[in-house]
Amino acid sequence: MSDATSQMPAAARPKHSLFEPDARTRRRNAAETRFRFFGASAIVVAVLALVILLASVLGSGLGAFRQTFIHIPITLDATALDKGGNRNPEDMKKVTTIGYAKILEQGLKAAIAEKGLTVDPALTAKQIAGLMSQDAAAQLRNQVLADPSLLGQTIEFSALANGRVDGFLKGRVTLESAARDSNISPAQLNLVSEMKDAGLVSLDFNPAFITSGDASEVRPEAAGLGVAILGSAYMMLIVLVLSLPIGVAASIYLEEFAPKNKLTDMIEVNISNLAAVPSIVFGILGLAIFINFMGLPQSAPIVGGLVLTLMTLPTIIIATRAALKAVPPSIRDAALGVGASKMQAIFHHALPLAMPGILTGTIIGLAQALGETAPLLLIGMVAFVRETPGAPPEGFFDPASALPVQVYNFTQRADPAFVERASGAIIVLLVFLVIMNAVAIMLRRRFERRW
Amino acid sequence: MSVGLILLIVLGLGVLGFFIGRQRALSVADGEPRNLHSLPGYYGWEVFLFATVPALVLLVAWLFIQPVVIENRVSAMLPEADIAQAGSITLVMTDVRRIAQGLDAVAKKAGLDEAGINAMRADLTDMRGRLASVGVAIGSNVTPSTLEAAKAYRNLNSSFSQVKSIAVVLTALAGFAWALFQINPEQRARNLVERFTLVLLASSSLIAVATTFGIVFSLVAESIHFFKLYDFKQFFFSTTWNPKFGGGSDLGIWPLVWGTLYVSFIALIVSVPIGLMAAIYLSEYANKTVRAFAKPAIEILAGIPTIVYGLFALITVGPFLRDWFAQPMGMGNSSSSVMTAGIVMGIMLIPFVSSLSDDIINAVPQSMRDGSFGLGATHSETVKQVIMPAALPGIVGAVLLAASRAIGETMIVVMGAGAAAKMDLNPFEAMTTITVKIVSQLTGDTEFASPETLVAFALGLTLFCFTLGLNVIALVIVRKYREQYE
Amino acid sequence: MNDMRIVERDVTASSAKMAARGVQVYYGENHALKDVDIDILDKTVTAFIGPSGCGKSTFLRCLNRMNDTVASARVLGSITLENEDIYDKRVDPVTLRAKVGMVFQKPNPFPKSIYDNVAYGPKIHGLTRNKAELDEVVEKSLRKAAIWNEVKDRLDAPGTGLSGGQQQRLCIARAIATSPEVLLMDEPCSALDPIATAQVEELIDELRSQFSVVIVTHSMQQAARVSQRTAFFHLGNLVEYGETGQIFTNPSDPRTESYITGRIG
Repeated sequence: MSDATSQMPAAARPKHSLFEPDARTRRRNAAETRFRFFGASAIVVAVLALVILLASVLGSGLGAFRQTFIHIPITLDATALDKGGNRNPEDMKKVTTIGYAKILEQGLKAAIAEKGLTVDPALTAKQIAGLMSQDAAAQLRNQVLADPSLLGQTIEFSALANGRVDGFLKGRVTLESAARDSNISPAQLNLVSEMKDAGLVSLDFNPAFITSGDASEVRPEAAGLGVAILGSAYMMLIVLVLSLPIGVAASIYLEEFAPKNKLTDMIEVNISNLAAVPSIVFGILGLAIFINFMGLPQSAPIVGGLVLTLMTLPTIIIATRAALKAVPPSIRDAALGVGASKMQAIFHHALPLAMPGILTGTIIGLAQALGETAPLLLIGMVAFVRETPGAPPEGFFDPASALPVQVYNFTQRADPAFVERASGAIIVLLVFLVIMNAVAIMLRRRFERRW
Repeated sequence: MSVGLILLIVLGLGVLGFFIGRQRALSVADGEPRNLHSLPGYYGWEVFLFATVPALVLLVAWLFIQPVVIENRVSAMLPEADIAQAGSITLVMTDVRRIAQGLDAVAKKAGLDEAGINAMRADLTDMRGRLASVGVAIGSNVTPSTLEAAKAYRNLNSSFSQVKSIAVVLTALAGFAWALFQINPEQRARNLVERFTLVLLASSSLIAVATTFGIVFSLVAESIHFFKLYDFKQFFFSTTWNPKFGGGSDLGIWPLVWGTLYVSFIALIVSVPIGLMAAIYLSEYANKTVRAFAKPAIEILAGIPTIVYGLFALITVGPFLRDWFAQPMGMGNSSSSVMTAGIVMGIMLIPFVSSLSDDIINAVPQSMRDGSFGLGATHSETVKQVIMPAALPGIVGAVLLAASRAIGETMIVVMGAGAAAKMDLNPFEAMTTITVKIVSQLTGDTEFASPETLVAFALGLTLFCFTLGLNVIALVIVRKYREQYE
Repeated sequence: MNDMRIVERDVTASSAKMAARGVQVYYGENHALKDVDIDILDKTVTAFIGPSGCGKSTFLRCLNRMNDTVASARVLGSITLENEDIYDKRVDPVTLRAKVGMVFQKPNPFPKSIYDNVAYGPKIHGLTRNKAELDEVVEKSLRKAAIWNEVKDRLDAPGTGLSGGQQQRLCIARAIATSPEVLLMDEPCSALDPIATAQVEELIDELRSQFSVVIVTHSMQQAARVSQRTAFFHLGNLVEYGETGQIFTNPSDPRTESYITGRIG
């Protein structure tokens, strides 16, 4: 080493122009580029995961909003359907769906014959009728019971097609898979493609998916989300009505009035811990306290609403406290300065100013609650529910389902057609969540205040 | 009277009280509000609060206590022989409740009055058939004593409900009247109302504590119940999980703990590097455009319900891993596996890890970065050698919180991990977790008082302790870390 | 202290280490620094004085491109280090900062041990070949920063545990461990008490023998005590630059005089 280093060993570095990076600097810059690349890849992976997730759900779920219908003219034979002949719906109820199924079967046969379609002679009458959903007869019956004057007329009826037929039109069922399927035969599918060409069969928008109740294992084509949406709406109503006032009251106390002592500390620790308790534990709480101990009914929105309220409270309390904290003390001082009581200063000034923040937090809490599944499984919301619950408040105690639980329910069934239903249900769920979050963002944007 | 109706009556009284109270305050002050101590509205509020709050508290308390009292009274009526025959008192009581419901339905259908029902005799009519005809299925024949208990249950219920309605409405009226009589110009209505409000606010904040107590109480009580029926040594030390309907089950927790930890481990392997790197990139490197696009995208990931991730695991990730990895490598052909659940859970946790890390990285003071840049460190050297060590405690806390999330997560593992309780190393095998078993044991058809069902509470208690421990440690670490820079 | 020696100092012998020509700095729309020309001499302490917000710290941060880390900052004009333009595209700011070190207003030791704090620079720049050499660099740097005797027994203790004055001297040791050619100091004493300030000022005077030191200060007494040359900034302009003695005793610009006599600032 030269003499210069005796002063400072670190000066071992030779004189070097700034313009020519040495090997080490180049290595370091390469490391820098690599690190940057890893960071960017992490972002790409995260965004890609989101895209794939949404694409897979949308891809498999959009089909649920369209359903295969068989359009045939049906002659409603008055003698068969109204044996009394007096057009009294009470008497007509004696004819069960079996009677209507026969009429549908005849109508379908006639329509096929009229269009001159070739029917594989191996196909039995039962197999041809089996192209229609078992629910079609029930729908026809409901339509006639609602309007007895239809009797004796020939109406254009759109019968719900069997789930396999629906799958065939959507590409889920193929001739190969039908060969291995005991529920459908390739001959049936050949007939369906002929009917499609003749305009008897088509894929149409299906509002019943949103409005009707669940259907049994063997008729996925008739399963809908009506009960689940209503059940979720009931629960959200309960959550909103209970958690907003309680959460705001608790926050006001903790933020503005609570003395600094052990009890307050305990409450604070409690709230932050509750926010991190696994959701399924709340389900256990609901089962043990609300159902077993208080004797509330299973599968009822009231129990689900109470459980979700307890889960949402910490979110609302945390948001409300942050919003109250953001209101500067000078506002309270100003109110106190003109002789208002502390309570008046808070309720007249601080609370209204904190309201946008509180509402944003509440909506986000509600959105979380809407997507919550696990606790609802434990309180019996997973049960099969066809009947629409009644109007509140009695309806809160009727059995109902919930959107996310309905998704789970669909996935537990064997028929692959239910996968489409489950994804469709998720699309509905996501639409609600997007709306709620959009409202929250709008509230925040519009009322955000910088002090 | 239904609860809803009582509620309406009480609230109606309250609203009425508000107007009458205000009116009365004005009239005692000779129509001159300035003669009053408080604004007239406060006198109205005073009447409202005194009319509604005590009555509602009574109503809620009654709703809690009534079932317990009736249950006790009725179960005291049941003869020992019935209990011994059915196996346990809870089973008999379930029957009693069902029969009581059935009786209501029978009465409605046949148009019987109360006397008619009380005249029914189990030894004379076929009660089971009659109940079945109204849609109430009873497991065994109805013994006379059970029927008597069910009748008593109904009668007690209806008389208690009547007393309840009367008591609640009377309380509301009494509060109404008392508050109304109190009104005079010198009365400090505002102070009274405010003190009342303060009590209401404080009791609202106690609901959080009550929830925790409710959780601990329900978990502990039923777990004790379970350990009375099942040896705790077997539960904590056995390595087989094999519940059977007929009893004689093996309920060892270890296969479930193994599955839980394995899935969580994979989830953390996926989420921690990605989440951390994403946070570093966003807070240190990304320009405005990238941030404006990537941050919301990651936040959306956080807002998606877990059921959606579950479905994603079930229909996309599971089959993909099976067809492209597990089968070609000969490691199994199950689409639900530890890997499936782990990866999907990892994706779910990315935003969680990244937003926590983001907070923590931003808490490292700028002067620290300046110091490092000033010495000629590159950005990555600064991040790796200065920011990361400084943020390490906070990041450890964030990872612990993520681990606690992973352990408590339910829907993804229910739909992605499978149901087979085994201790295997192969990540492409289906395994199961504590949360999956809580769901399957509590949603099954087994009878509630059996160890196969009650074990869910012991599992829940284990889960609760696990996650609580992790959370407390994580919060302590994070808090310490924040203090360091304040 | 050494105020009396100012006039005797010989500054003309030193050559220009760094030269700035027509430097403009913008923070977004804000024109923070206007048309600055200045020569920083080798082995000299140069002080930048002026009221707060006058641009002196901004200019200091231009000298080792620390403004690069501020997204909104734009620097125009040229600054050279030994006749090489530091804003040239080929220049890696990392290499530049190894040559132009910096000490900040607030002591900012890393949350590491005292040893690691000082060793950080040599490690990242690969200045030593082995542990023994690194040990030597650390010791020399700590000795030069006049803190060795206070910390030699606890080199493994965290740097954040030292007192404010010790922390700042540790940061100076950290900066000189990479053996920079120029040392920039941004109000290095503003967070320190008078005793610690005196220690650091003494240190600055010793550092002059090896480095060119640039110090930003808002204390005129400090500028007078430690510097040989002084630049006065006002509202983003370099008003006057010259020998410290002359600036303080016989300023040519009325604004400088007003500032020094305390009428503006």
